[in-house]
Amino acid sequence: MQEAPVLQMHGIRKAFPGVQALDGVDFEVRPGEVMALMGENGAGKSTLIKILSGAHSADEGQVFIKGQQVKISSPKEAQDLGVAVIYQELNLAESVSIAENIFVGREFRNRFGFIDNKTMNTRAREWLETLHIDLDPRLMVRKIGIARKQMVEIAKALSLDASIIVMDEPTSSLPTATSKPTELNEVEVLLEMIRKLRDGGKAVIYISHRMGEVFRISDRITVLRDGKLVGVRNTAETNPDEVVAMMVGRKLEDLYGHRSETPIGEKVLEVRGLNQAGRLYDINFDVRAGEILGLAGLIGAGRSETAMAVFGASKRDSGDILINNHPLAIKNPQSAIQAGIGYLPEDRKLQGLFLKMAIRLNISAADLSLVSSSGFLNANKERELSSLYVKQLNIRTPSIEQQARNLSGGNQQKVVIAKWLAVKPKVLILDEPTRGVDVGAKIEIYNLMHQMASQGMALVMISSELLELLGMSDRILVLREGRAMGELSRADATEEKIMTLATGVKTGS
Amino acid sequence: MSESSTLTPPPSPGKTTVGAGQSMNPLRRLLRAREAGIFLVVVVIMVILSIASPNFATASNLAIVARIIALNSIIAMGMTLVILLGGIDLSVGSVVALTSVVVGFVLVKLGMPIWVTILAGLALGALVGFFNGLLIIRTGVAPFIITLGMMGLARGLALVITKGSTISGLPEAYLALGQGYWGLVPYPVIIMLVLAVVIHIMLSRTTFGRRIYFIGSNEDAAILSGINVNRIKVIVFALCSTLAATEAVIETARMSTAQPASGVGYELTAIGAVIIGGASMSGGEGTILGTILGATLLGLITNGLILLGVSAYWQQVFSGAIIILAVALDTWRRRRSG
Repeated sequence: MQEAPVLQMHGIRKAFPGVQALDGVDFEVRPGEVMALMGENGAGKSTLIKILSGAHSADEGQVFIKGQQVKISSPKEAQDLGVAVIYQELNLAESVSIAENIFVGREFRNRFGFIDNKTMNTRAREWLETLHIDLDPRLMVRKIGIARKQMVEIAKALSLDASIIVMDEPTSSLPTATSKPTELNEVEVLLEMIRKLRDGGKAVIYISHRMGEVFRISDRITVLRDGKLVGVRNTAETNPDEVVAMMVGRKLEDLYGHRSETPIGEKVLEVRGLNQAGRLYDINFDVRAGEILGLAGLIGAGRSETAMAVFGASKRDSGDILINNHPLAIKNPQSAIQAGIGYLPEDRKLQGLFLKMAIRLNISAADLSLVSSSGFLNANKERELSSLYVKQLNIRTPSIEQQARNLSGGNQQKVVIAKWLAVKPKVLILDEPTRGVDVGAKIEIYNLMHQMASQGMALVMISSELLELLGMSDRILVLREGRAMGELSRADATEEKIMTLATGVKTGS
Repeated sequence: MSESSTLTPPPSPGKTTVGAGQSMNPLRRLLRAREAGIFLVVVVIMVILSIASPNFATASNLAIVARIIALNSIIAMGMTLVILLGGIDLSVGSVVALTSVVVGFVLVKLGMPIWVTILAGLALGALVGFFNGLLIIRTGVAPFIITLGMMGLARGLALVITKGSTISGLPEAYLALGQGYWGLVPYPVIIMLVLAVVIHIMLSRTTFGRRIYFIGSNEDAAILSGINVNRIKVIVFALCSTLAATEAVIETARMSTAQPASGVGYELTAIGAVIIGGASMSGGEGTILGTILGATLLGLITNGLILLGVSAYWQQVFSGAIIILAVALDTWRRRRSG
């Protein structure tokens, strides 16, 4: 009864400098099935998909499509083989029409060689109609929402006669910052469309972090961890707890560690009436010594914006920032650092690290006065400082002279943490501190956070992983559309409560 | 050291750190450094020229070459600072022209003493660079565009001041600055070497220099590390222009006249020297030693072509081709090392 797989990948290996992204992964998907591909950030999902789409080439391993061994060395070849990938960051040209996007590179021409818009629009409408999408193909893509853009991408995939359709986190930005109840329905519409694709015999690879959707839509689930295949399950025969355990490789209780019992102390950071036109509205919160405050919210809810405003990296329109009950004039990151605030940014490669520079140079970057006197650098002090933190944070590197870009994600993140520990802040804001690091490094980072807190530092953690927030925070502040929607204590907080505050809609089905 | 296979980064062969790598054994550092390759090319070219032309290895020719290289190096060192930041300064050639005519004007028309003239020239350079930097940080427009505008503006002012003519009649004492010798070594070479040592120390040993590398390596990370990026940008553009003005003060003395047409194409030579010297156009990588070797390479090739009787027009073609070749080689090498 089961059809032969339309796609088989065998023993796929791929290494990047500093990390074995894929280490002998097998993967398959059958026609007429939705295969969920799950794993934490850094597990190797996107690398696997990029190999399938021709964006990366595998170091080792074979790919079979419809039983034929193939070599996919460019996105064009993948397209010709019937593979369509719909990326998280959609690949549509914003300032041209839907029809032109669907037929990009294959425009219809009239007998004079000019583009035949009329035929193109008619054909585009036909494709959209097969998906029951009511959209005018002449509309500019910029004017339609993210969910509709995804549908345009699907229509394009169908028009290319794709038999394997990969959807990379299609719902991650839904509902968006302007969430209205109708936009929740867009997720439903999308899921319905995926079912239609499946029933039409397409093989759908569905990548998502949202456990609920995965269990509703998928037929089977493949789990990757640290570049290796953990297992494949029939969705009907497993449950979310088992899948999470497969993803993280251990029981959840062991993952987040424990803090030595130290009482929570005085208010260290207090934010009063923080406003930023069009982004943040009257945000108030405080963090105490020895406490971890979680900041929850959807993408675009204003979590990083709040952190940047507190850190002086963006301008506040109004609002006071108090350290130890003293209001401070924080107008740029220098003054924030002097006041005792540190900020570990969301994207460590783009905002945190000096990738082409040595670990030694990265660690002292936030306060060169630690390693210099009257403006002259002291190489011995630099080596001492960086060696100390490399040892203390267990940064795995052959030498402190190693360039930051050659480290694995987890060790890179530890270098950025070391940079902030070196300036001994009173408050450290950590924005997605475990994004894209493997499980081992995650545990180390969690333990470090516990250590910092028990030494009396006040921590603010921004995270999109609800389990992580629930596991680490003493309190959780939920933001939506730039407003603080409510605060949950550790004892009260549940995934459902956070999502209800974050989306403004009761979830639970 | 560690058994954990996925966490341990692979050993990286031959990748030294950017900026100041003071911690390696000096001999190994010397051999591994990117500069060693350029140095080798410089030596080979000198050997070839000595064989090909009997006039190359003479004291008088070597002094001429050294002086040209020194002058080009002074501008290229300023360009190095700007390129390290991830910027570019196209106005240096025009700053040379403007400084030159102002020097002539102050010295000959106003009859000011030499030291006042020199200070005025350098201050003018600093001012032009200060405006470059200020415009860049205030408008957010790319340095390429701002300095392209300044290139036209400064050249235009130079022509306005002199109404297009040259100023001659500079005092003998002033001319010595460009024409004099200390033993066998021309003064410009000594000035260049002193500046090179100072700038090298600034880049490799001071917090200011380190911050330049930080900004060029990752400007966003620099801002979020509390570095005052804007202030450093303004200072660096001011330094670059001041160095161009320094060159103009010396070159005016060497030519015995102040010319509004001087300095044409100097930005190209300077950028070429910096890139040949191993700096990255995207910032964060490059050294003063590399830049001086780059300028030396370009200077030797120009001199060699003259000695071999190649026409002046062809010399420009060669210089341009060498810069393209150097950048192409560098890009290829970077892509290989990933």
